[in-house]
Amino acid sequence: MFKKNKMANILNAYINSSQGDLNATLETIKSADVTTSTKSLLAIEGRVDMPYFTFKKEVDDSQSGIYPELKNIVTKSIQHLSADDRKETAIIIGTSIIDWNTINAIESTVYEYKKTAYYTKKRSIDSYAKDLSDELGLNGFTLSINTACTSSANAILEASNLIEAKLFKYVVVVGLEIFSDMMSSGFHAMQLLSHSAIKPFDNERDGMILGEGIASLLIGSDASKWKIRGGFSNCNAVNITAVSPEGDEFVEVMQNALLASETQVEDITALKAHATGTLSNDLSEMNALSKVFDNSIVFTTLKPYIGHTIGACGALEIAIFISCIDEGFIPKSIHHTDSINSEYIPLLQNKECHSGTFMFNYFGFGGNNTSLILQKESV
Amino acid sequence: MKLYVKAHSSYRSDKEDIDIKKELKQNFKVDTRRKDGFIYMGLLGALRLKEQVSIERENELYITSGLGNVNILEKTNDYILEQKEYMKLFDFINMLGNTTSFYVASELGIKGKSIFQVADNFTYFNTLVSIYASLINSKNEAILGSIDLVSDDEEVIKRLLDLPETSNVVSSVNYQKLSLNAKDALCEVAFDTRFYSLDELSVILENESSKIVVSGRCSALEYEAPSKYFETNASYVLNEAIRTKVDTLYVECYNDKYKILKIKSL
Repeated sequence: MFKKNKMANILNAYINSSQGDLNATLETIKSADVTTSTKSLLAIEGRVDMPYFTFKKEVDDSQSGIYPELKNIVTKSIQHLSADDRKETAIIIGTSIIDWNTINAIESTVYEYKKTAYYTKKRSIDSYAKDLSDELGLNGFTLSINTACTSSANAILEASNLIEAKLFKYVVVVGLEIFSDMMSSGFHAMQLLSHSAIKPFDNERDGMILGEGIASLLIGSDASKWKIRGGFSNCNAVNITAVSPEGDEFVEVMQNALLASETQVEDITALKAHATGTLSNDLSEMNALSKVFDNSIVFTTLKPYIGHTIGACGALEIAIFISCIDEGFIPKSIHHTDSINSEYIPLLQNKECHSGTFMFNYFGFGGNNTSLILQKESV
Repeated sequence: MKLYVKAHSSYRSDKEDIDIKKELKQNFKVDTRRKDGFIYMGLLGALRLKEQVSIERENELYITSGLGNVNILEKTNDYILEQKEYMKLFDFINMLGNTTSFYVASELGIKGKSIFQVADNFTYFNTLVSIYASLINSKNEAILGSIDLVSDDEEVIKRLLDLPETSNVVSSVNYQKLSLNAKDALCEVAFDTRFYSLDELSVILENESSKIVVSGRCSALEYEAPSKYFETNASYVLNEAIRTKVDTLYVECYNDKYKILKIKSL
């Protein structure tokens, strides 16, 4: 049914999170001294201030604001590639951001007071990828995947396929999420946002805090310490917003990821949970974890440090986690005191670890669930 | 690269005068509540495909589009940015691209991979490439849906698609069931990752014996282009080549870069 991906490796990773670049984010994780701010959101009761993980240096939620930040990160990923290699490099962005090209076209057309003379330029949500490809001399093959919280995790799987099939030498995978009034208001309308902190798998959890993030991973077949063993993605939920409380849909995706990567349950050194801190998703995930793994599984969560970066979290959380392993530790979960399953408690102290096989879970809205397995061999 | 088409379905607003919502409710017994025009289009194409071929639980679903659901962005933009009102729950849900994929997957009984993706240029071609790469790995079969909906104010999409103000845009949805296996296939479709220059393409066209169809964007080519425009026209041309059993070479272009699809009946 599946084959292990033998060729696709993560060659480098660069990020910008609410805590800063990769080094700054690692320092935050080591100190557990997390910086959050607030954003004003539109709610039924009017504007409300909610916690939010914003970039230290504000990125304007507009086409002209986002692109330079994106280019800065992606340029670092491909800076060592020759001109010839860049011609064999595709780019896939995973994101759920609002398409400002479309908003701008709507406003220039629909509203009389903003109406502009007819002007055309080929644009879409994928224009960021196309512009990066043109400007950085890449191949011209671009895609932007929008599968909510699994967007950039699915981009990694698609990139792996392209490398495995030898269609491209390299693929840049980008995760991108910027504060948006429209998106944030939508999550508020769904009553998914916390007023305090993300407390994954905790009985006191009250929701997620959204965050901004950009991550760029260079995927290729060159030798690397980080190998993508494989993964699986499914679309399985009881309705558009949730899976079953039992979490069987998550069980399926984890088990298929293990199968696809020819990995046994006991091979998993640690697991990075999706762990949004929402009532229903955490319950389903905990139930799924307990069906796939015994209670010796080491699992941790990253969203309490950087927020839920939705479309970016696939690439961003992998970048952060593998950098922690490169630094010699599995990061602990913070804001956790009382587990919803007393036999399964997330990692509460940083744990020394230099290598191993790791599962990364992303369980999202719209039935999209993705599980990836990466391996770092011991030196 | 080659993929084989096992089944196909099409709808175009200029070819069929139907109320899609009514069609979904009456003929396919679809619950149309909380959905919108873009999702209706996706469902119509999918359910027409389902009438043609068996669809398996683990089939991979890819949905692509030139622009996605522009109407819902217009609606939510009006609430949030113009009227300063709060977001309505199901408008937010419908604003997310994978909502359409979810409803399509649900109607088709698909529980495997489901991807909603857009490429600025060559979105249909690039999706074929990613499907090919995925099927090489999974040995599975894929359902590809290509949806283009004319926005309520069609000038919006003409601006975004870089079309003349007077151009004639239509709504369209086309599906194919794709496989690496030629058994019981209706046609073979060949494509690659490279771009062709006009000179390279001219040589190919001179030696081509199949029917040649070009995109409305290919003004440098001396072939008659379709008078109606939608971004995933390649998907419709593929289905038409199957329906009429005419081997076809389709040319798409943007900014002097060309791509070709070779469609051969089986």
